[in-house]
Amino acid sequence: MAVGPRVLEAAGLPQPGRRSRLREWWEQEHIFGYGLIVPAVVLLVSLVAFPFGMAIYFSLSDYWVGSPGAFVGLTNYRDILGNETFRQTLQNSFVFTGIALSLKIVLGVWLAMLLARNLKFKRIIRGVVLLPFVIPTALSTLAWLWMFDSLYSVVNWTAIHLHLINPPGPNWLGQSAYAMAAVIAVNVWRGLPFFAITVLAGLMAVPKEFHEAAEVDGASSWGRFWHVTLPLIKPVLGVVILFSTIFTFGDFNIVQVLTRGGPINTTHLFATLAYQVGLQGGNLGQGAAISLFIFPLLAMVVFFQLRYVRKE
Amino acid sequence: MTKTDRPVPTRRQFLSTSAGATAGIASWLALSKPPAFAQKRELTFLSWNHFVPASDDELRKQAEAFGKANNCTVRVDTMAHLQMPAKIAAEAQSQSGHDMYRTASADPFLYENLLVSMDDVVEKVGKQGGGWYPFAAESCQTKSGWKAIPWFWVSFPGTYNMAHYKKAGLEHPPKTWDELLKQGKILKKQGTPVGIAISHCSDAHSTYWSVAWSYGAKVLEADGKTPGIVSDKTAQVIEWYKELYKDAMEPEVLSWDDAGNNRFLLSGKGAWIHNPVSPYNAALANKQPIADDINHHNSPGGPAGIHSACPNLSMGIWKFSKNQELAKEFIAYLFQKQNFDAWIVASNAFNHPPLKNLADHPIWARNPKFAMLPKEADYAHPRGWPGKPNEAVQRIDDNYIMADMVAKAVNGMPTKRAMDWAQDQVTLAVKGQLKVG
Repeated sequence: MAVGPRVLEAAGLPQPGRRSRLREWWEQEHIFGYGLIVPAVVLLVSLVAFPFGMAIYFSLSDYWVGSPGAFVGLTNYRDILGNETFRQTLQNSFVFTGIALSLKIVLGVWLAMLLARNLKFKRIIRGVVLLPFVIPTALSTLAWLWMFDSLYSVVNWTAIHLHLINPPGPNWLGQSAYAMAAVIAVNVWRGLPFFAITVLAGLMAVPKEFHEAAEVDGASSWGRFWHVTLPLIKPVLGVVILFSTIFTFGDFNIVQVLTRGGPINTTHLFATLAYQVGLQGGNLGQGAAISLFIFPLLAMVVFFQLRYVRKE
Repeated sequence: MTKTDRPVPTRRQFLSTSAGATAGIASWLALSKPPAFAQKRELTFLSWNHFVPASDDELRKQAEAFGKANNCTVRVDTMAHLQMPAKIAAEAQSQSGHDMYRTASADPFLYENLLVSMDDVVEKVGKQGGGWYPFAAESCQTKSGWKAIPWFWVSFPGTYNMAHYKKAGLEHPPKTWDELLKQGKILKKQGTPVGIAISHCSDAHSTYWSVAWSYGAKVLEADGKTPGIVSDKTAQVIEWYKELYKDAMEPEVLSWDDAGNNRFLLSGKGAWIHNPVSPYNAALANKQPIADDINHHNSPGGPAGIHSACPNLSMGIWKFSKNQELAKEFIAYLFQKQNFDAWIVASNAFNHPPLKNLADHPIWARNPKFAMLPKEADYAHPRGWPGKPNEAVQRIDDNYIMADMVAKAVNGMPTKRAMDWAQDQVTLAVKGQLKVG
């Protein structure tokens, strides 16, 4: 407890200087605690809350690049819903996220189980697996762009030489279904390590005794996975799925580098369409409306999933 | 770690030194003024990554020379052309960034209120240069005057592989788009198809506008705001595209970026593309033998004549710039005959001057493969023609409406429906409501 100046005076001791008084003030728990979180709060407010608030304001106004507009309520949202390209984008986003996420869950858990084994060079392998997640997306997607190139596709070249397909092979980025397959494949390639490593952490926390007990009871390997492993990693899996849903819905780099939303807008996602409308076309109001459109749904997903994870 | 004799600062010394440095930088930032010893004017210019990189080298060289002569520095930043609209929008929005930038197409209309008047420098440079080509001038003349100065235009000829033509028994390149279709069928059977981009890239616009005008089709009426897509003539254009796509091209045209057709020709696979001279220049620069086989011819025509939507590039100065006069001096410097000539040479005939007196450079006459290029100016119109360019035109291009209309049609959408879809989109683009393709 801090000692007041009167007590010191009464005891005949010299009064503390300004600096030590300041230190005393600073070291009080409620001041010090708040002081420590101020930098984080400033960062969050300036880099997250402020832009988010601005985006909401833009989406409700007729705001053009460099020229603020009047408040128009939900007009931007109504306008984008009336447009075929936006509806196509809505559909693309769900197809893209649905398929990519399912693949990442299945393959991610599978990869995590493999990594959990006692392999030789375990550390190196785990490090290598993380590479797609570590390399900047724009760079790695450029490599994919070449792999899917209409003339020089190494994917087609390999498949043709293995006699899996007939030349010239699919036009990956020029035909709607293939283009969607291509962007999903790159998203899965990039997102898989995040799944695998996080699930691996969950797997490591599962006590071996549970498996041994199940094995003694005669459970098959599938049975052990389904009835023992999966229920125990559910909370971790839940959080990973939550993050991945948000990241996948919000993907931008992969589509922008590979297809720019084409062919005929069949790979546009919210972020790429918002970029096209808001930044290339200059209509910030509608661009913001497009990017915020999915926000209420994602907020609900976050709410219910976190509640579920807490219950678990 | 290497040991040194330098005394290691104590934590207190380190903190007080870094605090002093931080305070110094903070006061500099707060005053928005560099310290006295660093006060030298800096002019900043945002341009694109030129398709002929030597052109950018020459531009930087001239910028340096101008800087030396005027006791300032001129920084030329370049970036990929497809990323420029977003960067420019960010500068417009934040009211900060470069002093001047390379505007394209109808940019000056989109940012009319944010760009300074160029009337004075346009008049000065224009008078010295013998006057501007009308198509280049129109791209910069907004209702409130010149908001940019034409910089250069890019001819958009037919570019073809003579060896493939000879092998197919074709004597000359196409004079009309119909002839291209006929030739394309023969060439595709030979295994060397033709290619026109039908995708989210700039070349797709340039070709669509050119073909449409040649058939007498329009995107906008002469008033510049009434959509004019739904017509028999546009239907004819779409049918032509469908047949060309099916019988003379490969589906890869749906995935091309602006370099897609260059690669297609340079790989030896393609027999004909609609593109500036950049593939030829690239082949020359890389000493590829295919350079000997590549040649150019004027853009094909149609029942309504020859028309070309050649890209127009110009320069604009932001109102927020503190170096507006310096920027204008720099622009006038770039237009001095010896400088502009050197720049044309560096681009190997890619950069065409928008001023009539600069257009007689010997580089075009000297090389028979370039000789017809200046003639393209006779067929050129700004996008939006027969109306004047405006911001709706820019939005139509930015959102790939015409390319998507064709892409939908070649993928099976009935012609009438594709036209109706595009008409709706153009209507919205004119209203400024929605600019998506």
